[in-house]
Amino acid sequence: MRAVAVTGLGVVCPIGLTPEAVVAAVQGGESALEPVAALQHLPDDRAGRVAKIPVRAWLKRRKDRKLMARASELALAAAGPALGSFPEDDRVDLGLFLGVGREPPDDGDSEASLAAAAHDRRLDPARLAGRGRDLYPPLLPLKTLPNMALAHISINLGILGENGAWAGASGAGQRAVVSGIRAIEEGRVDAALVGGADSLVDLGSARDRLRLGHDGAPGEAGAMLRLESLQAAQARGATVLALLTVDASGIALEPMRHLVGDVGAATVPLMLITAIAGGIAAPVHVDGSDPGDVSAAISVSPPPPC
Amino acid sequence: MDLFDGYGRPRVVVTGIGLVTPHGVGVEQAWSEVVAGRSAIRGITRFDPAGFPVRFGAQVPDLPAISDIPAEVAPLAADLKGRLSVLAVREALQMSGLPALGPRAGVCIGSEAARPSLADVAHRLASQLPPGADELARMRPDAPTRLMAALAGATGPRSTVSTACTSGSQAVGEGVLRLRRGEVDAMIVGGVDVLVDPIMVTGFSLLGALSTRNDDPAGASRPFDADRDGFVLGEGAGVLVLETLAAARARGASIVGEILGYGCSCNAYRITDSPPDGRGAAQSMSAALADAGIAPEAVDYINAHGTSTMMNDASETRGIHRALGSHGASVRVSSTKSMTGHLVAACGAVEAIYSVLACRDGVVPPTANLHRPDPECDLHHVPFDAVQTPVRHAMTNAFGFGGSNGTLVVAGRP
Repeated sequence: MRAVAVTGLGVVCPIGLTPEAVVAAVQGGESALEPVAALQHLPDDRAGRVAKIPVRAWLKRRKDRKLMARASELALAAAGPALGSFPEDDRVDLGLFLGVGREPPDDGDSEASLAAAAHDRRLDPARLAGRGRDLYPPLLPLKTLPNMALAHISINLGILGENGAWAGASGAGQRAVVSGIRAIEEGRVDAALVGGADSLVDLGSARDRLRLGHDGAPGEAGAMLRLESLQAAQARGATVLALLTVDASGIALEPMRHLVGDVGAATVPLMLITAIAGGIAAPVHVDGSDPGDVSAAISVSPPPPC
Repeated sequence: MDLFDGYGRPRVVVTGIGLVTPHGVGVEQAWSEVVAGRSAIRGITRFDPAGFPVRFGAQVPDLPAISDIPAEVAPLAADLKGRLSVLAVREALQMSGLPALGPRAGVCIGSEAARPSLADVAHRLASQLPPGADELARMRPDAPTRLMAALAGATGPRSTVSTACTSGSQAVGEGVLRLRRGEVDAMIVGGVDVLVDPIMVTGFSLLGALSTRNDDPAGASRPFDADRDGFVLGEGAGVLVLETLAAARARGASIVGEILGYGCSCNAYRITDSPPDGRGAAQSMSAALADAGIAPEAVDYINAHGTSTMMNDASETRGIHRALGSHGASVRVSSTKSMTGHLVAACGAVEAIYSVLACRDGVVPPTANLHRPDPECDLHHVPFDAVQTPVRHAMTNAFGFGGSNGTLVVAGRP
């Protein structure tokens, strides 16, 4: 079984837009939770929101941004730096494994259509077919499918290899990272981009969390890691930041919800990135399994000596 | 009987299958209709489609009542998607005779988020109340996974794959990988989706993706035909029980077929369009063949993704030629979507089941409505009538919006 090396990191979250900034904020205990106007009618209006998602630099076509939900923007903005200067020729077989949340919200895009379709306190199919249809955003299905974050990364960064998008909460991001590790260990790919992206800071998502009894403030983040077989990384002279294995060695790390809010499918990748960028002296592990699920934990070890 | 494949990995077999499709409830019902070449596409009856640009779809017929749902997951079974899940997984479990394996059984299901029903949307508009906890739980993509795990007594790893039309195929693939690794003794895998609702009809018709052949619903889905004009929204569920050959033999299970190979790829092209040269599709098919350890010439049948859109069918054709070389012109190809419509997150699993059955029965199901094959789709088609012929290996493709591709290579009983 091949060893799996981390050779690239990318993060976009409320406390920082680079791994170094995130580590500095964590070490300083800087919380990014603050009141968000859209949530003002909720019992707690605080959320961990990214003020400006730096996605533009990674778009091949700027007009594609109108197809992107916030989760897709977060994913691509984190994936770009994580992939870095990885050779273009090797992207044919580069894997892409991503944890995503539930279906991204439509940001209210369909409200006008549904309101126009309402009649006599019910939704009237005939009105939906008429005025409602005129107001329905034609590209909305493409914005809200859960796998669109994966699609935008693949298209804009030219990734062609084995892939998967797992839906759920923090367990989805963990599943994605584990899948990437396994794909490299088993030799199906030599390298993979893995991670998670989620955005829960819109009114609908925040309200749904309350209804489901989820505590704490909502947040959002994109967190991606570039993994390679240790042998391949060393052969091309890449800097190895850490080693990953699927087990529960060392101390268990805790999520950073008090600083960034609930970042859903990005939880585990964000914890991994923070640990790696902060410097690993001894093995640690993360386990973000969803309630009732059985997921394999992920351990992080220091890189081997050069 | 060798319990390991050519790579030394445990062989993975199918010991149970379950289907609910627009053709009806149950594997044999659905399969006999597909083999007979009969379309299940009709005018929409679930809501009044007057005024919509598309007034037909592939709806499931009336379903039998379901009961004995554990209380903790009962809310997840309360909508159509939940009922499809229950019926399909129960048939698959009954066929397999799989005992409740607890942590040694996992579940991986391909599913998208459920859309709220028309009644739910109407209630919300009227009341201005947000959805309740039960409705929110049903709308989550992982609702069918949780429901099926509870019904199967499977407490091992659960996951939900959401890669649009590739979801079901990738869920089967994930199950194969887990079994080969020895993480579990059994995997319940599959896909489920429900798309015949007013909001989906509105959204996809505005994208220009749907056939508008309102005067001839049964003739609307015509993959590879020169006169095709889009896909047809459908709904259904397909579930497979997978086990290692060793585990299935040890408990004396009846084996339906075998999953030999799985491959997937990204197109890295455009959100809605497929690359005209079929490169992503070819990469997925080549990966599946390599994983199966067989040559292209060993494939006797391809159950194509074949959506009936101009772009997909031409791109898939190029992909087949690229991946299979000269054998691409001679291998029999058909698209069962010509009769079932597009089951989206479920199609990869449903069509994997059809492919296993093609190997089991030695029959290649036809492509309905293929009156005038498109010269851009130069394949060995099977129009109108099924062909009785031995099928050693079948390949089944699923290609999703956003450019995720998945391919499975299957065989009959070892």
